[in-house]
Amino acid sequence: MTFIPSLFSLILTLIPMTSTVDPSSRPFVDVTDAAALQEATRVLAEEVKVAARPQTYVLIDLPANTILLKGRGIELHRIPIKHWSTSDQHELIMTFRLKERPLVTRRKIDPSISPEQEPISLADMPTAYSLQFTPALTITLDSYGQASLWGMAAHFVRQWWRLVIKWWRAIWTEANSAVAPELDLTVSVDDAQSLAWMLTDGMPVLIRRPIH
Amino acid sequence: MKQVIQTLYPGLISLVLLLTLAPSSGLSSPDASAAPPKPTDPATLRQLQGRYYSLSRQLAQLMPGQPYILVDTARNHLYIRHRDRVMLDALASTGSGTILDKPGEAQSQWVFDTPRGEFFVQSKLTNPVWVKPDWAFIEEGLAVPKNQAERMEPGVLGEYALGFGKGYFIHGTLYTRLLGKNVTHGCIRLNDEDLKSVYRLAKVGTPIMIF
Repeated sequence: MTFIPSLFSLILTLIPMTSTVDPSSRPFVDVTDAAALQEATRVLAEEVKVAARPQTYVLIDLPANTILLKGRGIELHRIPIKHWSTSDQHELIMTFRLKERPLVTRRKIDPSISPEQEPISLADMPTAYSLQFTPALTITLDSYGQASLWGMAAHFVRQWWRLVIKWWRAIWTEANSAVAPELDLTVSVDDAQSLAWMLTDGMPVLIRRPIH
Repeated sequence: MKQVIQTLYPGLISLVLLLTLAPSSGLSSPDASAAPPKPTDPATLRQLQGRYYSLSRQLAQLMPGQPYILVDTARNHLYIRHRDRVMLDALASTGSGTILDKPGEAQSQWVFDTPRGEFFVQSKLTNPVWVKPDWAFIEEGLAVPKNQAERMEPGVLGEYALGFGKGYFIHGTLYTRLLGKNVTHGCIRLNDEDLKSVYRLAKVGTPIMIF
């Protein structure tokens, strides 16, 4: 019984470190705000280069709390972000390329038994994974289902543990040594699987940063 | 044991809270050196606005001005869109994602995915005949025929087919009950009515975006 208030306190302490979002928010640029305009222009300049090639790409719009899959500047699919946090916004200014999409176990057809085989589906996609990029960037994607209290609790515990690891690493890392930027994103379970499905090796990723 | 836990419990909770609060003191927060925004002179703001609008126009010019095909392989839907308007929403079947070993070639496999990315309609065919590739025989445990005529199978691809490169097509199917599922070897299957609409609306050069 004494454990429950302590657990509740623990959960409350995690709230200030996340950004809870309105999933209906849309990208907006205040053209009278020079800093916001500068950031939007920076991203737009990169997007024009990427969109000019026949490829799909991802735009992570942190101020709008949205992940957009795009092609030729057209929005193909949209994923709302529940929470995000980052180690250093300064480093998130390049066009990053995904090294490898999340791995999934594929089923093999065995002609000696049957040509039929259970096809891969969204349910086979991972719900939490880490993505590595060139130039160096790590995006850690976590998820939880809205209706699952246990899922939410497990998510907060994972988030807390990642923060502990980062804090511990920061203690033992020298102040002037380069650390690759990290971005943590939390989405719904369905959206995490959707994103894992949509990503391809070498896919370009752009990030729009909040200014204020 | 209970006494030990009761003794250690407050200290453990304090340690947990300390570790939890410490990372929020600046190690994972946004750039600490961000100063409050300085007022910008009107000329600089106009310059920034000009650049922003110019880039927005450049991006808009990259968007297809004609109808384009959009394929959602996760949800097995094919759309034809023109700007913001959805002209067609069709149930489809896309690649199963399964793999088949190539006999006699170590570490080599067929992967039955529908390719992702941007493509274009390269060909439009009527009454297409399926020329069965090697995997179609191998997956059924059959020998690959040497005679090309033995590969021909008419009537299984529907009335039309639209090719978009490297042997992939949008075509019809006899197995309409499997529409909505990931069951193909990479091609995109539609029912007869939707296939006819796609054939009518798409031209050679129509963009196809697959995700």
